[in-house]
Amino acid sequence: MLTYVARRVLISIPTIFGVATVIFLLVRLLPGDPARTIAGVLATPEDVERIRQQFGFDQPLYVQYVTYITHLLTGNLGVSTRTGAPVTEEIFTRLPYTLELAAISTVLSILIGVTLGVIAATRRGTPLDLLISGLAVFGLSMPVYWLGLMLIIVFSIEIHAFPAAGAQDPLGFVLPSVTLAMFSLALVARQSRSAMLEVLGQDFVRTARAKGAPLRTVLVKHALRNALLPVVTVIGLQFGALIGGAVLTETVFSWPGVGRLLVDSIFSRDYPVVQGVVLMLAVAFIFVNLLVDLLYAYVDPRIRYS
Amino acid sequence: MPIRKLAFLLALGMAVAACGTGTSSTTTNATKHGANLNVAIGIDPDTLDPAAQTTTTASQVVDMMVERLYTLDSNGATQPQLASDFPKTSSDGLTYTIPIRTGVKFSDGTAFNAAAAKQGLDRLLNAQTFKTQPGVLSVIDTVTATDDKTLTIKLKSPFAPFVAALTQTNAAILSPASLTVQGNTPAQVKWPVGTGPYVLKERVNGDHITLTANKDYWGSQKPNYDTQNIKIVPDDPSREALIRSGGADVIVAPPLSDLPALAQDSSLKVLRAKSDRTLQIIIDTVDTNQPLLQKVEVRQALNYAVNKDEIVKNVMFGNAVVLDAPMSKTLFGYCPVGSNYNFDPAKAKQMLQAAGASNLTVKLGSPTGRYPQDIKVATAVASYLHDVGVTVQGPQTSDWPTYLGHVNVPPAQAAFDMHFLGWAPAYLDASQQFEQFRPDRIPPKGLETSYYSNTTVTDLVVKAGAEVDQQKRKDEYCQAAKQVWTDAPWIFLYNQSFPIVYSAKVTGVGAFPNEKFDTRFAAPA
Repeated sequence: MLTYVARRVLISIPTIFGVATVIFLLVRLLPGDPARTIAGVLATPEDVERIRQQFGFDQPLYVQYVTYITHLLTGNLGVSTRTGAPVTEEIFTRLPYTLELAAISTVLSILIGVTLGVIAATRRGTPLDLLISGLAVFGLSMPVYWLGLMLIIVFSIEIHAFPAAGAQDPLGFVLPSVTLAMFSLALVARQSRSAMLEVLGQDFVRTARAKGAPLRTVLVKHALRNALLPVVTVIGLQFGALIGGAVLTETVFSWPGVGRLLVDSIFSRDYPVVQGVVLMLAVAFIFVNLLVDLLYAYVDPRIRYS
Repeated sequence: MPIRKLAFLLALGMAVAACGTGTSSTTTNATKHGANLNVAIGIDPDTLDPAAQTTTTASQVVDMMVERLYTLDSNGATQPQLASDFPKTSSDGLTYTIPIRTGVKFSDGTAFNAAAAKQGLDRLLNAQTFKTQPGVLSVIDTVTATDDKTLTIKLKSPFAPFVAALTQTNAAILSPASLTVQGNTPAQVKWPVGTGPYVLKERVNGDHITLTANKDYWGSQKPNYDTQNIKIVPDDPSREALIRSGGADVIVAPPLSDLPALAQDSSLKVLRAKSDRTLQIIIDTVDTNQPLLQKVEVRQALNYAVNKDEIVKNVMFGNAVVLDAPMSKTLFGYCPVGSNYNFDPAKAKQMLQAAGASNLTVKLGSPTGRYPQDIKVATAVASYLHDVGVTVQGPQTSDWPTYLGHVNVPPAQAAFDMHFLGWAPAYLDASQQFEQFRPDRIPPKGLETSYYSNTTVTDLVVKAGAEVDQQKRKDEYCQAAKQVWTDAPWIFLYNQSFPIVYSAKVTGVGAFPNEKFDTRFAAPA
């Protein structure tokens, strides 16, 4: 097990290195002069030149790359060209806000999604199943942007229950987490339903029922446990996506998370922060994938790593 | 039990939400003092260091804390702020002797004097200062504190709008003692300390900036709210939702299409503040792909082809005035140039035909999301041009930095025949507007992207730039403007306004004509 983890971590090093290189080149392929973007339209040629020198954009590409990689090896992601703060500081002040939303919406989608999926599977073909499946399709296909605004109109403007924007208010997290949860909730519900349906049709379930085990035990102990594997995969991948993919939700609700940091940085051509955030997301994905793989062994004891 | 819990949570939510609106602890006496004012703006300030300011949004936040030697009044005229009067200028226009206000203290308790003012300007000019943007102020040669209350500034060359240029936020004076505390270094200031009516209390990047009142503010007007909480809400509809839900008391730049509805709401007030931003379709006047655009008559015809009144009314929802000069009315040096390019498609068609341009084809570019309704305005222009027989490719569009990258190129690399752009001088003087019409500002030296060149205009502008006599300067800019108008390097569109929406419970919300809101002395109504 430990060797397995060590091997996975070792394998991930070239991946991270590759991501770092690709993103370094990608941001530099973006059209637009970073020095001019930073300096603004009214800046004089001297102002633009000074900025170019301060950030080393006047250096040849390979020099910039070598500097970037050497700094990276010492854990230095560089300095934001927007704010002048270290990139690590920029990311770590924003990350807790994103993790908060990602964690809450993941918990919501697991609790509600799995429950709905199981209910739909056990009542296959009934109006209830139809309703849940319909809701899941709705949740998957509805634009986050629209749902967010609808929630704001109902819960902020009409009944003043929750704040419309920002993380300053203690209840500010409610609407964005619900919005964010909707998509993964629907995904989890659909996944659990189909996984449960598959398992419920198998022989061991019939055997369990035949020997007189109560329905509840059969569902939870026998069927669900076996159906969980694909669900865990979906949840894991979703969590990874949530860390970076909450851009729209963070924008609609003015939530100061990593997604918005990334978008702001792209639009202001803040190369170091874009590189830093993408790298962090890559690491997060690798980590979550590893965690999911390890969870398999817990969920399904037949799986062994060696 | 769960229902009870739910009810409790709901009640808690409402209670917190109610506290969140928290403006009005109005006392009954005349001072009208308030606890907190929530202001929502659209852009997260990149830095609060005055020397590195590039956007009005960040500048207006800095202006609440840090002041300059000169400032604008609400009409856009230059007024002394930390200077006690206008400067004495030497006859050669090179030396400015500025009297400094006495008895003013920075919010950290240290005294403001000429030495502090010198340090502020020196810091702006120092190439080591992080992202410093002296801009036109790099015309300064030396700054000397002659004594505590006199500052002498020598220029490298005469620069007539110098005092106006000192009203920019980058010329703001920080407390010298503050340059080494709160994470500040002389090269980079994260925590600005100035003489302004508000003091920085807290900043959460991307979420909010909280300011507290400077109890010892020197000015005759005093801050009336204990705190001002500036929320960063990038999405226009979200800012609107915030003020409708009571989460903000003042919002800047709501969606233009909703302004009529917001104006109907009796609990809200709409201020359509003046702006100095002109919006135009810039024509490539040396176009080699479409040489017909090099002809003055063709460019004039394009001006007659576009119905600007309709665009202002229907696309800008009335939040603009049609240009009657190549600059906004708020600038020093403005004069109406007289002949308007009134919408006349028949005339446009006839002029195009006479110029041999009846089958004109042009490629049009426009940014998306940079200016209110930008791509929609460009689309409307394209349709008007189509009506007079011009084939328009586009508008081709992209995000701002990409677009700027396409537009900010020397003539040989021009990507479009015509492109949509706005221009808003940072200080309210025609000299910066004419950067758009000077051949020595053609990229890469500047952003004169019409590549327009007319020696009459250049001579007048250069002369006005060094002219000491203000009336003469005004006349020179006026003459130059008339020539530009005739030469039509742009399709002149409109001067937009800068809408601010605020709660009827608040009074004293104002603005400066360079797209800065002013809540410094706002008070409960």
